[in-house]
Amino acid sequence: MALVQQIQLQREAGARNRARRLTGSPALRVAGRRLLAIIPVLIGVTFLTFSIMSVLPNDTAQAILGLNATPSAVAALNHTLGLDQPFWQRYWHWLTNVLHGNFGSTVQGASVNHELAVHVPTTLGLLLYALVVSVLLAIIVATLAARRPNGIMDRLSLAVSMLGLSTAPYAFAFLLIIVFAVKLSWFPVLSGPVTGPGSFFKNLTLPACSIGFGLFAIYTRLLRADLVEQMQREDYIVTAKAKGVPPWRVLTRHALRNSTFNLITVIGLNLGGLVGAAAIIETIFQVQGIGNDLLTGISNHDAPLVQGITLVFALVTVAGNLLADLAYAVLDPRIRYGSSSS
Amino acid sequence: MAAPVPDATLATRVPPPLPSLVNGRRLRSRRLGRALRLWVPAGILILLLAMCFLLPLIVKLPSPTSGNIIYNDEPLFSPGHLLGTNVQGVDIFSQLVYGGQVTFEIGAAVTAIGIGIGGTLGVAAAYFGGWVDAVISRVLDILIAFPALVLALVIAEGLGPSEFHVILALSVFGIPAVGRIARGATLTIRGLPYMTAARLAGTRSWRTIARHVLPNIMPGIVTFSLLGIGVVIILEGALDFLGYGIPLPEASWGSMIAQGQQILTAQPEYVLIPSIALLITVVALNTLGDALRERWGVQ
Repeated sequence: MALVQQIQLQREAGARNRARRLTGSPALRVAGRRLLAIIPVLIGVTFLTFSIMSVLPNDTAQAILGLNATPSAVAALNHTLGLDQPFWQRYWHWLTNVLHGNFGSTVQGASVNHELAVHVPTTLGLLLYALVVSVLLAIIVATLAARRPNGIMDRLSLAVSMLGLSTAPYAFAFLLIIVFAVKLSWFPVLSGPVTGPGSFFKNLTLPACSIGFGLFAIYTRLLRADLVEQMQREDYIVTAKAKGVPPWRVLTRHALRNSTFNLITVIGLNLGGLVGAAAIIETIFQVQGIGNDLLTGISNHDAPLVQGITLVFALVTVAGNLLADLAYAVLDPRIRYGSSSS
Repeated sequence: MAAPVPDATLATRVPPPLPSLVNGRRLRSRRLGRALRLWVPAGILILLLAMCFLLPLIVKLPSPTSGNIIYNDEPLFSPGHLLGTNVQGVDIFSQLVYGGQVTFEIGAAVTAIGIGIGGTLGVAAAYFGGWVDAVISRVLDILIAFPALVLALVIAEGLGPSEFHVILALSVFGIPAVGRIARGATLTIRGLPYMTAARLAGTRSWRTIARHVLPNIMPGIVTFSLLGIGVVIILEGALDFLGYGIPLPEASWGSMIAQGQQILTAQPEYVLIPSIALLITVVALNTLGDALRERWGVQ
């Protein structure tokens, strides 16, 4: 699903940008419009999270006071926390607080801001690690595959990427644990806290590989298809070949450069899908990141924590989409100057 | 002055070889390859479906939910237990079969809901345009930016885990995905001559959609949905795995993996068996989707 959807998204983004026929400073104008479009999406996401979290039984006060608390004490605490107010008021209260940089406090009384400040870098580092490794590998493998379509490398890369596309990340994580943590003991089974570059690689390599394998498969397929198409269709490839540029150089210098831009767009649009993967993989490896927090937050009925984390993930998603659109406008001159690309 | 160069020699593009020039044997083997790419995954899927839905009707399988603790931890291929038994003595093969039923049911239901609701929204957005499109697109944007997993977990936490709630939760993921595809596909055919002809002939909107739009966007949606079922199955396994999916003791592939996790080092086969089942199913679905896409020429 992801693959087709991404091609679709990419096409839509391209068509939107081309249709706009930008003049002047295109990147800025795109950025302005996209920034405005982000606001309703963010409000929608937070509102949706708020609504579904309020479906859960409201036992925050009971959880804080313990099971022996009298009903009147619970009611009093509910009143102090503002939990007895109507839904709309609570949402407004939360929203204004967040806009002032205050995410509230967790059920245990810790500050959500602190929780996010400590755990967001770990998760972002993990996702970035997975992204960078999978993109680099995808570029290498896809280029080798596109060198000779239907050749041995091409068949091999298609098989591997089909495997990656079809593997459940959590199942793959266990395979990695069995091989690299248990049999070979290169990496720990459970990840410890990340303190420096050394512990970053020691603790996050297996989780990053679990997330990255699927990404690698998607990127390889997309990039290979794009490269093959460019090599067959585009005029500048014919020109380069006619000039006597060696085939390998045409592929890496001419086709790959263009295809990579397309890949960047897809990656940006794809960021939202990483959230689920991060949550599950972080739980398996016990990584101290916000994906893991999200699951504990939900099982503790910890609305402020879950809302804060969802907001962070939604921000990452829309920021990724925005960057993808911008990268498209900045990197592809055909869009920048508003000329038709056909 | 040099003689003028004829235009033909300036043409840079070599015309594609005519079909008659293609060697017949290669053509036949290519056709065979295409048929195999379609029918091998289709055959595997039919076999899997038969194993999950027909086999329990024909053969009496041991219970997938309870077993005799005396016969626990039986190895693979032990008598009466093809794939052995788990720590509680439950037969692993029947767990796999009944878990597979759940998996396929959920995959089919979520996809059907996705096509039904998402397809309707997407087609409506693209066909009517204007504010309808603006509203529907924004809603789909929000649903896509919203982590579906959060919703699925909260539904399970608040309403209690059940098969129906899993379907409900995963639909939130399926609807916007199909919606976007349907919208994009409808947009591309909207300006085509036959659509204009239909409008000029005074065909009503619903009739145009039913007779002209739907038949033309269906191949795209169907191939996309086949790939989508794979994703749904993986997500469903994730929910089971986290304990928010199909409630225990009912069998599911995800919960089998979760149970096997506890004795991963001693007996990795408890994790590997359901993982391989999951992998075969999703590979078959994905390759079938690819083959159909190739056959129907869908982008």
